[in-house]
Amino acid sequence: MIEEPYRWVEAIANRREYLEAQLAPGSPIAALGFRDGILFLTVGQTRQKIFEIYDRIAMGAIGHPGDIERLRMAAIELASTEGFTRSAADVSLRRLVHYSLSPVMKSAFEQINGPPYLARMLFAEVGRRPEEDLFLRVEYDGEIATNGATYAQARQDFAALSGTQQSRELMEQFLKDQHTPDSTFEAALNSALDAWSIGHMFLQAGETKKLPERAAVVQHRQEQLVNAGIEAAVLERDGSRAIRYRSLSDKELRALIRD
Amino acid sequence: MERAPVGFDQNSSGAAGDFPSLLRRKGLLGPAAIAPMPQAGAAQKIWEQTEATTILAFKFSGGVLVAGDRRATAGNTVVYDRADKVLEIDRHSIMAIAGVPATAWEMARVLEHSLQYFRRTQLQEMSVDGKVRALSKLLRDNFGFVMQGVGVVVPIFATYKGNSKPEARLYFYDAMGAQFEATDYAATGSGSPAVRGILYYENHWGAKPLHKLSENEAVSVALRALDTAAESDTATGGVDRSGKIYPLIKIVSREGITTLPESKIAAVFKETVA
Repeated sequence: MIEEPYRWVEAIANRREYLEAQLAPGSPIAALGFRDGILFLTVGQTRQKIFEIYDRIAMGAIGHPGDIERLRMAAIELASTEGFTRSAADVSLRRLVHYSLSPVMKSAFEQINGPPYLARMLFAEVGRRPEEDLFLRVEYDGEIATNGATYAQARQDFAALSGTQQSRELMEQFLKDQHTPDSTFEAALNSALDAWSIGHMFLQAGETKKLPERAAVVQHRQEQLVNAGIEAAVLERDGSRAIRYRSLSDKELRALIRD
Repeated sequence: MERAPVGFDQNSSGAAGDFPSLLRRKGLLGPAAIAPMPQAGAAQKIWEQTEATTILAFKFSGGVLVAGDRRATAGNTVVYDRADKVLEIDRHSIMAIAGVPATAWEMARVLEHSLQYFRRTQLQEMSVDGKVRALSKLLRDNFGFVMQGVGVVVPIFATYKGNSKPEARLYFYDAMGAQFEATDYAATGSGSPAVRGILYYENHWGAKPLHKLSENEAVSVALRALDTAAESDTATGGVDRSGKIYPLIKIVSREGITTLPESKIAAVFKETVA
């Protein structure tokens, strides 16, 4: 069947449709570079979605827990063996994603008799200055989106990950307006929570291009936070410690929320 | 269909979270090499291996103090006088080494990565007992070398865990990997007999027992002990008064690890030792 090129293209298209449908309910994750580091944030109740990968690298992911786990484990293995045989300074997110993860995910996606990875991931690597922060979003087909400047967009000091394209684009639109890389932790936390709320409000597929009213965002956030907990972590910019990842508790964050 | 992606090990569930076995699987950590036994009549000792010497650790009021002199020797040659024998493994653990630095530093590197790897893959900290055992396994893996007369390492491991009894934990090892928990103090290396004598004396008949000493008093005891060791053991550097080279001293406490600045050590030395 798949020997015919047309069938192959059709199979790929079906597979894409299936994966998008599976990922669509995924709760958004926002990653914001601020003055003292990079903040990862999501809101949820059950599964952990934000992980430490290496000294300066963290990951957030949505998708099937089994697939996320295999990719996470692979990323940690690759980074750890590189850091051990050479040095921690040689571990680079760019190389990890471009040379190791992306090719593997692409070939799994295109070998239509085998299972694809049902996962969408957001990686960040903290730099010495906010301008050196790197954000990479990796799709189930190995596609990579970066925060770097292209002909179509200026460099961004944040990244968003969500179940649907509409949701992610609205989050990005919001952060482009509201977030600056020199902001404090508290400001970044509030921007991240608002971005999450916007992403979560517009998860269902659609064509909305306009950001919701401020009051609606606040109300949505308050409703969601009644039951769900905030999951967050920072990659600290402070170079005095090798290991920069620190997870943050729901309790310490709630005290910093402004309305 | 086989997914078999490059660089991925599909068989690894990671459930063990064991970094040395990952390194072995990737061929990055070999089993202990077995060199042929020397032939009868052949020169028995061809080269002198570099060795690091005296280290000590004891519990005091602020946690555990770990100190090491700075000398590395090969036979009767001083190879290096600024060797670092007190190594940080994670935020609350220190490994201090006496023995062959080539092996010891590699061991410390494996241990450090093992603990990070465990935390990252398993999403929890390794227990103190797990850490102590991890070092023991590394020593045992190295025993093939030790039997050939190279690469012997005798470390001390100090760690601190709040809310556990006792909070400060101190272990010393033999070359085969047996771990011994020390209640008050530990010392290993060529200068250790003198150091143990001093620490025993201080603990029993000193102004106060070691665990009641303040930080400055503890530093003073450590400097005196290393200076005494250096007095009779040529392999121990002690305090180099002319070169102004002081022992390396680190403290593990609830807050983590502090490396004492040289200026502070110099001040205590000037006041109570010199």
